Amino acid sequence: MGLLYFFTSLYFGVVGAILALLMRVQLSVPNNNFLQAAYYNQAVTMHGLIMIFWFLSPLGIALFNYFVPLQIGAKDLAFPRLNALTFWLFLSGGLMAVLSFFVPGGAAAAGWTSYEPLAGPIYSPGPGPTLTYLGLMLMAASVTVGSVNFIVTILWLRKPGMTLMQMPMFTWFALFTVVAMLFAFPSIIAAFLLVLSDRLVGTVLYAPPSVLSVPGIDPSLLWDDLFWFFGHPEVYIVLLPAFGVIADIVPAFTGRPLAGKNWILLSTAIIVLPISFGVWMHHMFLTGIPTILQEVFDVSTEIVSIPFGIIVIMFILSMVKGRVQFKTPFLFVIGALVLFTIGGIMGVFLSSPVLDRVFNGSYFVVSHFHYVMVGATIFGLFAGIYYWLPRMTGKMYSEKLGKLHFIVSFIGFNILYAPMMLLSDMPRRIFTYQNIGDWAQLNGIASIGAFVFAGAQIIVAYNLLYTWYRGEPAGPNPWGSEDLEWSSPAAGMTPAAPLEPEPVGGWIGQLSSAPVTGSSPASVSPANAGSYAASAKHEVHLSSRPLTVSAGAMLFLTGAALYPGILPLGLMVIGVGITAASLIGWAWDDIRDKFSGPPEVEGGDRWPYNAVSKMKLGMWVFLSSEMVLFGTLLGAYIFIREAALQWPAAGSVHDIPLATANTLVLVTSGFTMVMAIIAIRKGDQRGLLAWLAATFMLGSVFIGVKISEWIGLVSGPTPFVPASANPVTALAASVYYIIVGLHGAHVMAGLIVMAYLMVKTTRGGYTKENHGAIENFALYWAFVEIVWCFVFPLFYLL
Amino acid sequence: MYSGVLSAVPPTAATWNFLFNWYLIFGVSAAVVVIGMLLYVVVRYRAKYGQGPPHDIKPTNWKVVLAIVLIMGVVLAGAGYQTFASFTNIDIPNSPGAVTIKVEGFQWAWNFTYPNGQYSIDNLTVPVNTIVILNLTSKDVYHTFGIAMLDVKEDVIPGKVNQLWFNMTETGVYPDAIRCYQLCGIGHAYMIANLTVVSQSAWNAWIQKG
Repeated sequence: MGLLYFFTSLYFGVVGAILALLMRVQLSVPNNNFLQAAYYNQAVTMHGLIMIFWFLSPLGIALFNYFVPLQIGAKDLAFPRLNALTFWLFLSGGLMAVLSFFVPGGAAAAGWTSYEPLAGPIYSPGPGPTLTYLGLMLMAASVTVGSVNFIVTILWLRKPGMTLMQMPMFTWFALFTVVAMLFAFPSIIAAFLLVLSDRLVGTVLYAPPSVLSVPGIDPSLLWDDLFWFFGHPEVYIVLLPAFGVIADIVPAFTGRPLAGKNWILLSTAIIVLPISFGVWMHHMFLTGIPTILQEVFDVSTEIVSIPFGIIVIMFILSMVKGRVQFKTPFLFVIGALVLFTIGGIMGVFLSSPVLDRVFNGSYFVVSHFHYVMVGATIFGLFAGIYYWLPRMTGKMYSEKLGKLHFIVSFIGFNILYAPMMLLSDMPRRIFTYQNIGDWAQLNGIASIGAFVFAGAQIIVAYNLLYTWYRGEPAGPNPWGSEDLEWSSPAAGMTPAAPLEPEPVGGWIGQLSSAPVTGSSPASVSPANAGSYAASAKHEVHLSSRPLTVSAGAMLFLTGAALYPGILPLGLMVIGVGITAASLIGWAWDDIRDKFSGPPEVEGGDRWPYNAVSKMKLGMWVFLSSEMVLFGTLLGAYIFIREAALQWPAAGSVHDIPLATANTLVLVTSGFTMVMAIIAIRKGDQRGLLAWLAATFMLGSVFIGVKISEWIGLVSGPTPFVPASANPVTALAASVYYIIVGLHGAHVMAGLIVMAYLMVKTTRGGYTKENHGAIENFALYWAFVEIVWCFVFPLFYLL
Repeated sequence: MYSGVLSAVPPTAATWNFLFNWYLIFGVSAAVVVIGMLLYVVVRYRAKYGQGPPHDIKPTNWKVVLAIVLIMGVVLAGAGYQTFASFTNIDIPNSPGAVTIKVEGFQWAWNFTYPNGQYSIDNLTVPVNTIVILNLTSKDVYHTFGIAMLDVKEDVIPGKVNQLWFNMTETGVYPDAIRCYQLCGIGHAYMIANLTVVSQSAWNAWIQKG
């Protein structure tokens, strides 16, 4: 899985790089006509989206996939099939994004920031942007599932005796990254859910005042808040894997342990929670937010630099009195630290709202975030690739080529981005410019740098191939690292090890980190090794379901984006069919206990304590992400309500008595669910079935009433049409539609799972000892009810 | 930084330049210290043949961390203080003689409406040595109104009115001085306007004529 991720993200990286080169060609001279504005805007938008979501983040995740299990002595991730689902969702989303170039009207062109209302249906019509944003949703779903998987893996599957504080630093940074992902991505899911609802269903959530003249409403600010609440943590999500790599490499190449390891961990923890979620408004200094907010976010942004300063200084102090070896990975570490320092200091400039009056929207910002996201992140990840290449292939790369790659990259990088620092009067994202001032010279230099930097990457591509086919044997631990991943034999050391994904039975199925399987039960203590029977285990949970579920989702969403038409409709139907069939098949596999491998190995080091099962921990982690999602959406609702100077009175849109009765129905279903648990805890299978059936019935009644309410709204005279007599009602209906709809979708999903639980119950699938699924579902159902307890008063009573 | 064309520096640009130089001195110093330290350390402690393994080290002293926090804290507090003192660039001055002009951005041009009800497209005419306040709003999508020469910039958002101010110190026509700094569609690159600064007497005559 790690390798699949690796090569897929490199593929998207090449796509993003080509887009960047096209832009640099266009900007190399003034008044150029190489790329028209429409194409340039698509290139600039998709370059950003693809590089961030389908290259940088996944490249880090590829390394997580490969090395986190190795570093903690786990045989695989906690949920291998979910890991496969994560990958296929990520790939499907990326393919949709790339595909959007080829639909009429082209891809999204409103910048990766997708500012509203430009990214909405009025100013960016056509299926392309919809397709891109739907692909992004698949990516976000993938991230959510993946984060849950990694958190549970790291907290639950460490080898016996490895406490949290003994984990290798890379694994620590993986944990920080996925925690940040878990809490940041719900916000962008919410933000794009509203966009997609506008684009697909015709709601008016981000409609500009020219369309929806509700006094007080400015949809742009709602978007800014939702997007940047995600956007700033995302910067750290991209950066932290590289820092994890650096933290592992520095000791290996200096022969000294990391100085101030605990200070580094503490600093990073503070950055992830809370600081990264408390600085987003520094992207909004110019939006007319009150002076006091500008000052607060100026200070909070400055504070970020302190923990980062501690981390960088600690890395440097770790090298003092060491034996520094200038091997390629270490050169890239030095490069990453230098570029991060420069980019970070530029960030302090940007923290000043007054200075931001010049830098905002200019090439200074472009330079700043490329220094951080390309300089620090890519150089750091390159260090990791060179560092672990011997572990992944068993062979050593060419040191000469590696050093050449570093030198050319570093020089090319600076020729590319340093001139942009001086272009602080040039607007970003303009497709052409007149020959004024020093713009022509600086842009010309930058374009030359772009080609030097891109050319350097040909060296690494060649070096990778060279290593693969001709590399010298590397030996088991070429760097003398003390981390666990080096104590197991490298993949290439056992020639039979399958490194490439191998189709099994005609399907590319579940492929968990292959070398782990292939080489040995990596570094498990010998006492446990026997129980793993690694190769046998993998056949057990090999499944094509994650692939088909993702493919079906992709077909359905592609159809939805292209709708209307016969072909899109067909795609949607086929997509739903494939996904539904796969899910049913997946459930059926489970009912037949297809995946019941060897029992969980006891005695691993777990947190918070052994009493919490793997599934339950996963459920809690997932629900915490869901909580942020609904929290964000309800926050958006309150934002809209507060901004609007008028709002329909309570009871004028919805039927309060009916909704109250319906609320009682849902609350009662919670009670029956508890009864179901009590029954199975006593071992009473018939009782379980009866109470589950009761819960199912009540849930169905609830959703039935909801659907009728919904249809009533949609089929009203002109549901979302702003030209109708009361635009306020259209907006109120839109917000209601999306949030209550999302809650309804959760209830529906709950009903489907309940159906599955009932089928499994009739086959005696749950016993007094083994009914974790019921308990986990009860948690989910309780969550759905709690959400309703917020939604009901907010939408109906107030 | 980019107001070099003017012999008398306008107040917003003067404030900005002062603040920028302040940040520049400390920013460059910080970069030189950190990068210098890194390069010194890696060169000084490079591996040599015949060396034994490195000595064990003492765990990092909390005093080092405290020192980093204090040094950075002081520098950043200074930066923050200077920024707060420069908020005069952002806060709209309450000046009775100020001239207020309405600016509406749309895809892809600027419309300026003057106190006398006259309007102009893609050319902003203002009196010299007068505080000019712009009320910015957008007809369609998100734009950003910036005059790089004066170091002022503010977002132009549909459904919202944002304000900025400046005070030009020299008459003249400044071509392409005004630009849009937010991607707003295919015409983004061409959303440019001229700034024309006229004498106060010429302005008054024009305003009274209506």
